[in-house]
Order: sequence, then structure tokens, then C-alpha cells
Amino acid sequence: MIGGLFIYNHKGEVLISRVYRDDIGRNAVDAFRVNVIHARQQVRSPVTNIARTSFFHVKRSNIWLAAVTKQNVNAAMVFEFLYKMCDVMAAYFGKISEENIKNNFVLIYELLDEILDFGYPQNSETGALKTFITQQGIKSQTKEEQSQITSQVTGQIGWRREGIKYRRNELFLDVLESVNLLMSPQGQVLSAHVSGRVVMKSYLSGMPECKFGMNDKIVIEKQGKGTADETSKSWKESVGGGKQSIAIDDCTFHQCVRLSKFDSERSISFIPPDGEFELMRYRTTKDIILPFRVIPLVREVGRTKLEVKVVIKSNFKPSLLAQKIEVRIPTPLNTSGVQVICMKGKAKYKASENAIVWKIKRMAGMKESQISAEIELLPTNDKKKWARPPISMNFEVPFAPSGLKVRYLKVFEPKLNYSDHDVIKWVRYIGRSGIYETRC
Amino acid sequence: MPYLGSEDVVKELKKALCNPHVQADRLRYRNAIQRVIRHMTQGLDMSGVFMEIVKASATVDIVQKKLVYLYMCTYAPLKPDLALLAINTLCKDCSDPNPMVRGLALRSMCSLRMPGVQEYIQQPILNGLRDKASYVRRVAVLGCAKMYNLHGDSEVDGALVHELYSLLRDQDPIVVVNCLRSLEEILKHEGGVVINKPIAHHLLNRMSKLDQWGQAEVLTFLLRYQPRSEEELFDILNLLDSFLKSSSPGVVIGATKLFLILAKKFPHVQTDVLMRVKGPLLAACSSESRELCFVALCHVRQILHSLPGHFSSHYKKFFCSYWEPHYIKLQKVEVLCELVNDENVQQVLEELRGYCTDVSVDFAQAAIFAIGGIARTYTDQCVQILTELLGLRQEHITTVVVQTFRDLVWLCPQCTEAVCQALPGCEENIQDSEGKQALIWLLGVHGDRISNAPYVLEDFVENVKSETFPAVKMELLTALLRLFLSRPAECQDMLGRLLYYCIEEEKDMAVRDRGLFYYRLLLLGIDEVKRILCSPKSDPSLGLLEDQPERPVNSWASDFNTLAPVYGKARWATIFKHQGTEHCGPKLPHTASLATSGHLISEENKERVQELQDSEALMLVPSCQLTAEYFEKTWLSLEVAHQQVLPWQGEVHPDTLQMALQVVNIQTIAMSRVGAQPWKAYLGAQDGAGCLFLTELLLEPENSKLQISVKQSEKRTEILSSFISVLETVIGTIGDMKS
Repeated sequence: MIGGLFIYNHKGEVLISRVYRDDIGRNAVDAFRVNVIHARQQVRSPVTNIARTSFFHVKRSNIWLAAVTKQNVNAAMVFEFLYKMCDVMAAYFGKISEENIKNNFVLIYELLDEILDFGYPQNSETGALKTFITQQGIKSQTKEEQSQITSQVTGQIGWRREGIKYRRNELFLDVLESVNLLMSPQGQVLSAHVSGRVVMKSYLSGMPECKFGMNDKIVIEKQGKGTADETSKSWKESVGGGKQSIAIDDCTFHQCVRLSKFDSERSISFIPPDGEFELMRYRTTKDIILPFRVIPLVREVGRTKLEVKVVIKSNFKPSLLAQKIEVRIPTPLNTSGVQVICMKGKAKYKASENAIVWKIKRMAGMKESQISAEIELLPTNDKKKWARPPISMNFEVPFAPSGLKVRYLKVFEPKLNYSDHDVIKWVRYIGRSGIYETRC
Repeated sequence: MPYLGSEDVVKELKKALCNPHVQADRLRYRNAIQRVIRHMTQGLDMSGVFMEIVKASATVDIVQKKLVYLYMCTYAPLKPDLALLAINTLCKDCSDPNPMVRGLALRSMCSLRMPGVQEYIQQPILNGLRDKASYVRRVAVLGCAKMYNLHGDSEVDGALVHELYSLLRDQDPIVVVNCLRSLEEILKHEGGVVINKPIAHHLLNRMSKLDQWGQAEVLTFLLRYQPRSEEELFDILNLLDSFLKSSSPGVVIGATKLFLILAKKFPHVQTDVLMRVKGPLLAACSSESRELCFVALCHVRQILHSLPGHFSSHYKKFFCSYWEPHYIKLQKVEVLCELVNDENVQQVLEELRGYCTDVSVDFAQAAIFAIGGIARTYTDQCVQILTELLGLRQEHITTVVVQTFRDLVWLCPQCTEAVCQALPGCEENIQDSEGKQALIWLLGVHGDRISNAPYVLEDFVENVKSETFPAVKMELLTALLRLFLSRPAECQDMLGRLLYYCIEEEKDMAVRDRGLFYYRLLLLGIDEVKRILCSPKSDPSLGLLEDQPERPVNSWASDFNTLAPVYGKARWATIFKHQGTEHCGPKLPHTASLATSGHLISEENKERVQELQDSEALMLVPSCQLTAEYFEKTWLSLEVAHQQVLPWQGEVHPDTLQMALQVVNIQTIAMSRVGAQPWKAYLGAQDGAGCLFLTELLLEPENSKLQISVKQSEKRTEILSSFISVLETVIGTIGDMKS
């Protein structure tokens, strides 16, 4: 259980403090500030013990959120709760910043009141919470709304309220992946993985039953054994000879997905919450399409000069465009001047960040680009050799680096008269860079 | 913490809240209340406007109601009589047609922490338990626990407990979980909620309907259930299987623990479970949520303690990225160190070597220690890497490498030759105490194989006057004497000089005593010295012990998914010990914890606070009652364990001193009159383990010094030093106040 929740700004001023249990005193707020926020050294652990009280903190931009307890709790759970709280707050007022928190502090107290009681997490689904949180609650509620609350809180399905109606039934599927890479200077992949999320935004009436299919290896094999049914045929056409199926290392689902069905038939069926939610989260490590390769070449010319040449190669279909490409080439601390020449985009030496930042707005697949820089160094007495931090990269590509494809998403609503064909569906793939590093 | 100027703010807000124009305008009224809450959050004392706020509670505006209730929950304990005025409104709200208002009022009423409120909340809670809206039932169920917490000493109400047990069958999942939580708190003294077979099976069937918080909670409650038969046990495991792959890492770890505990008699099942959670755990370890990643890594380390090969094929997952936070990198290095095997050792070492030159000194040193750890099994490769690191001639690297060498030579004597060859030259790059000690020790013990050993030591002897660390001087004495035994011709002269210095000029008593001791030893003749000093140079049997600790899964299964793996075993032991004593003691935890928590906020001596927290091993018992006779008897029978002199100016105010000592649970037995010369005081204290600390304070005004002598009933040096630091803090604080 959580004894109290505090939110601080970067200076350690308390923005929100809510104490749930008697054993947490007011001095706990100050203890955390003195020992962690104002501590001179860097944060040693996200869990801090001060006078037998445990403080769990997460940071969002320059805001500290701390959960406090004297009990022996499950650390993972507390952090998950803090993340959830951040998500809920973000759903209400966007970015978690000092300004936003100050402007919405009443709302935050309201939220804290609903999602935790006596230190125990209660309902934390944004959709379901909307019914309880009344920012413009001047009017006393109408009869209809009252009955809604009752049905919502007595209903079997905690994540969706009844009686939702839309004129246009629409759903959006986003496959969001972040591809992580650690590559040796010789171009050998040390580790690579994709962590992906399928986020669904549903605007569907009633209590629709949805079924989701993707090119997961096990499913395909299963279906291959039976008589080839229509869906797998149509899927084969659409993929057209490319990589057939992918191996998912592990995947987890939103609570609404019936896990028993997934285990027995590998079919993903569910009644979706209204609005946006994360349907599934997965991770793959095999056959990852690495969208970019970075080939670094660093040469030390004497003690006062470095020559750096970096080539990036895009490795995907030429018809696709990668965006927001940024390559960050670290420079030594004693750099005095930098000359950069690049074929494409803009490159700048940022002294404050000790790096050359090379930005390219767009780049098509199967292309190559190059930057070369001469770095002049101040002679130093420091015998310390420069540690050569890795070259890191950011980008966004319009496909899923894991190779995951959505095969279908079918909607059934037996009670209302709209069918699968009437629902407008949108699918989008976005691959982003996670930690994408090449050592040099 | 009242701030300057808060009175003005209170006055102004009071005026605003009373103003009928403001009261008529909803928005302005709400605004004023919001300002009150905002000041309250910032730590201003807003209890002055309690009356006005209570009046504001009679409104239909739900936002305003919420604000008012929040305020009241905070200040009710300070103004219990005024808070009673609000009860009426709250009771009325408890029967509002809107379930949200009912729930809100009931929750707030139960959170008013003041005496006498029970009689008012009992009925609304009972009504709430039978409310048709589950929202209200959730609140009411937890309300039972709150009510019970308010007057913990009273009898447990059997009817209420019965009602809660029956609510476990409620159709709302959150009500079910809240019932468990509530019962657990109410029945704390009887061992918590009872999970029998029907309840366990009912919970198991409801699991999939619960949200992640509920699932995690129920998983911990199920730990208590003992299946009757093997068949039932495996049925349960089958039912819960899907939770090992849950999307929430908390549930995954919780389920793992349940599996490990239930299957404690089936080691193969345990291994199987750990295999199955490998994927989810690895996913958590590479997740973007750093804090979760940290927690997962801690648990991975725990698993590795028993199954060293468990993650070996996934070693690349634990390579550090440059931008990862420090705490994750340190954990990953530890993990890497534990999962090496014949296949991956080359790659892991390669990777670790890269970290050794990292810009962060801590991280670099951790990596070097990790290589040292691996060296116990793969000695040759590691010693080679460490030797290469010496070539970088970096202070922070060299010192750690030399320390690693010292430990290594002791555990794996086969590498002595290689280490001895690597050592010459590194004395130039060592400045800190630890590194110097290690180097000097190595030179002393293995000096016969290092040709320039006497010359290096000679440098140290030359500079001994400017040496700041006594520990280094002690080490130097021992090392030089050892080297003298194997290479007398080169060392005799400087040994003489060093002994002369230590005995005649050294101010540190410990060093001086050590010098005298060796001098007298030498007087007995060389053979005698050899017999005593030429101990074995290494002890490989220790190395074997270090390598294969027997740690079966069952030894840590009960610690899994608690804070123990997160804090680390040693640190957790100290924290937990105190929590244990707090719970055992009869309801006076607050006085005991005041000693430390009271110091927390005194900003002016933050440093000291740090010390106090580190020395948590000491906990003085508040109720220690020593009689003067008993004190005298014990005092005379004991030796002085510690004596120290503190600066002191002017007179003593016995009352102030006595009060201050009382706060940290040190009892004053006897004291001289004010102005007596010399002034004396006798103090007594006792810690949780029954060890007595007897202290004499002696003040001689002409020297302006306060002499402290401490005697201890049991010889335990760590707690003695923490006791002295407490005493010093108190006396120092009073001294500062006076001057």
C-alpha cells in the first residue's frame, strides 16, 4: 500500500502532497527533498530508504513524483502505479509540466482521491474515471447520468460503460515500434530488439466484440495445418512474397483481451474500452529490419586533431521515406573547433552538448549519405584518454521494423445494427528509434 | 512548518470566505477555497479558516465539496470540536440520491482522523456496505479498516468481520479486493485474513476479472493458502499459469513468487517456472520504463544467485547503453558478473573492459571490481585485462585494479606471479587511502618477488610525515616488517627510521601503539617475529567457498517481490530489523522513531543526519530505567570502552542538556549542581538488544573541554561508534546553541 504521494518541481518545491496513512508524517516530504532532490551526487537508485521509509520516485521532464510507504511493498507494482498515474494525468491535461500541474491541481487532488483510497489503488482506467471526475460540476447531475454511474460501477466490464453511441463507427490502429540497437565499430550487431505497442482508438457504438489478427508465426502455422481459409489467403496476397511471418518473443495484452482464447486458439478477441488504449505490447529479437546502418570512421591525427567520417545507409524500400533523422556524433571535451561537411541535411557542432548534431528532414530507402568533420583539440595535460561515447541516432520510419503486419480487425455488435463493413478502419505503422547506438 | 506571513494570508482568505458577495458567486467562492488548498499544499498552516470552510461544505457544487472534504481530512485532528460541526452535513450527504456524493461523503468521513468520530461513522458504514452502488460499497469496505485504525485497541467487531467475509462474494471486483485489504488490517493481531479453501478457489476464479492492482494483491494473499493435496496444488498452478505472462511486470513477479512458494517441495517445478518467466523478465529488463527495469534487474540478480547459468545465453541483453541511468548500469554490471560461463566469458570481458574507461568514475570502478569477481574463475584472462588497464595510468583505475589484485592474490594464489610483474610503476598513480593500503600490503607480502619493492616502500617511509591516513601508516608498518624478514639487508635501515618516527613523533595513538608493539616484538628476536608474522600468504580454500555458495531457491523465495532484492540483502537486514522491533513493541513506535525523524528536517546539520541514517544499527530503547545503585555497580565493574574530548565554552545548563538527551533516549542518572567545578554528569542508555551504554561527562572550565568516557556492557564496536556519534551530535548541537 502507498502511504502518501508527493509531486515536486525541479527545485524541490512541493506541488502536490497527499497523505493516505497515519504513519507518514509531514516531515517525509522534506526528507525526500533534502536527501534526494537536493543531493549533490546523481540518483543512486529509484528506491530510497530514509529513516525506514521507502521513497519510490519517477521523473517526468523536471517533475518528481514520489510514492512513500513504510510497508514492505512490491516495488514493481508501485512503479507501475506511478506510471499509470502519469498516464491518467497526461490523458487529462497533456504534458506533465510544472505549469500544467499548478493549473490543474484541483483536478489532480480529485484524481488522487479516486484512484487511491487508504493507500490502495482503486479504479485507474481513464475511461471509467471520466464519470467520477467533474471539473465543471456546478450542476447537480441529471437522472440519466446518475443511472450511468450505477450501471458502470455494477457492470461486469470495468473498462467500458454501456450506452455509448457514435454516428460514425470508426477505429484507428497504430502499430508503434521502437527499435533498439547496439552495434560494434566493426558493424556487428551486439544486441537488437524491437519493443512494440499496438494502440487502438475506438469510436464504436454499443458493446462491440472485436477480433484482431496479425502475422504471428504460431498463428500462421496453426492455420496452415487446417484448410487454408480465406483470411490467410487474402493475407498472402497482400504481403506478396515478402517476409511471411514473424516470431514474437513475448507479448502481453490489455486486460480486456480474453487470454484463455489466446492460449487455446491464438486468436485475440476483446471488447475494447472507449477511446484510446493499448491493446498489446510485444517484443521481438529475430529478423529485425534495421532501418539505418551507421558506419563510423575516426582517425586521430596527432594529439590535436581528429578526423571523423560517418556514413549512414538507409535499408528499406526505396518508395518509403524516413523522417526526422538525427545523428549525434560525440566530440571530446577539449574540442576547440569543428569543421563539418555533409552531403545532405544540416550539421552543427553544439559545444554545450559536446556533439555534432546532423539533421536530415527526409531520406528515402536504399540511399546513402555521408558527413565528414575535422575536430581540432586543445592540448591538455589530462592523461585521460577520451572514452569515445557511441554515435546515437534518431529517426522515424513508416513501417514496422519487426515486420509485424495487421491482417484484420473484425468488429461484431450483435445488438445494434451495424456490421463489420460499416466500420471505418485506419491502420498506421510508425517505427521510431529507441536507443540506437553504434560504437566508434 | 509555519512560514512567515502566513497569518496575513489566513486573515485575507478568512475575509474573502466570509464576504457574502463572494459566497454568492460560485466561481469566486470556489476560487478562494482553491487558494486555501494551494497554501495548505505548500505547507502553510491554514487551520485558521476551519470554521469558514466548514460552512462552505453545505453546497451542491461537487467540486467545492471535494475541496472542502480534502481540507477537513487534513485539519480535523487539529480542530476536532469544529470538525464535529461538519459531521452533520456529511451524514446528510451519505444518504444523497447520487451514489457519487454518497461515496465521497462516506470516504471523507472515514478519513477524518480525530477521536470520537467512530460513533458517527459506524451507521453510515454499515449502510454503505449494503448500498446498491458498488462505488459506495468499495468506499464502505475500506472505511471499516479506517474506523478500526482510529481506535486500534478496541475489540474486533465479529458481526462486521462476518459481513466483510460475505462481501468477498460481491460481484464488483474492486469490492472483493478491498474486502481482503480491509480484513487484513482489522485482523492484523490475529494473523490477518484467513484464506480457506472456498475463499481461495473463489478468488482464483475471479482473478481474470480483476485489474492489475487487484491481481497483484490477490496473488500475495494466496501465498497464505496451503493446498490440501498435490492434485489441488497443480490445479491452482494451471489456473494461474497465464499470469506468468501478464502485461504487468508486477503481476508477473507476484505470480512467480506464488509459484515458487507453492511448489517449494518440487524443485523441478520451480526451475520450470523460472524458465517460463525468463521472457517477461527480460522484456521488463529492456523496457523503456527505467525504474521498472531497475526492479526487474534486481530480481534477475536474485534468480542468478541460485541458478547462475539461467540467463547466460541472453548475456547481450545486459550490455549497457551509454545513455542509461547510472543505477541501471551498475545493476547490469553485477548481472553480467554473475552469468559468465565458458561460452560467453570472452564477450562479457570484452564488454566490461569497455566500461572500465567510462567517464563516470563509479561506473568504471564497478566494472573493474566485476572483472575482479570473474577473475576468481577465469583468472588468466582477467589478470591480463587488469594489467592492461594499469597501462592507462589513470588514478581512479589504478587504485581499484590494485585493490582487486590484493583480493585476487589471496583467493587464487596461482596468479601471484602475473600480479607481481604488473605491479612495478603503479605507485605513481595511487593517491587514495584504499589503493595505497592495497599496494603496500601486496609489496609486503609478496615483496620477495618484486625487485623494486623496498624502494617503493622507502618512498612511502620518506613521506610518512605528510601521510594523512593512519590506516596507510599501519599497513606500512606491517608490510615493511614482513619485507624485512625476506629482504633484511635492504630494509633494515628504513624500518628503523619508520619505527622511530611512529614511536617518537606520531600523534595517532593506534599507529603509535602498533609501532611499539612491533618494536617489542623485534626485541624478542627474529625467529619469534617470523613465527608470528609469516602467516600463510593466501588461502585458496576461501576461494572455493566464495565461488559456490549453496543458495537454494527456497532460501529467498519468500523475499521475492518484496523490497529485499531491491535494497540488497545486507541493507535490507538492517532496515527490517528495526521494523520488526517497532511492531513488537507495545504501541510506542512514534517516540522511538522521533529520534531519527526529528533530525531529518534540521537542515543545518544535514551531514550529521546522513551519519545517523547510516548508523541505523543503533536503536536506543526509550523506556530504559536504570537505578543509580545499579548504574554505580555496573560502572565500577566495566572498563572504559571509549574516551573522547570535545570543545566546550562556558557553563552548562543541565535542563537543556537533560531534555536534549531525553529526545534521543539517553537517560540522565546524576548531575553536579550548576557552576560546580569540575562539573560531572552520568548518563545511561540501553539499545534494543539489551546492551548498556554508561557515560561520564567531565567538564573542567579552565580547559574549556568536555571529556566523555563511555563504558559498554557488551563489546560491540559498530554500535559503540554510532552511540558516540549520537552523543556527539547532541552535545555539539547544544554547544552551538550556546555560542
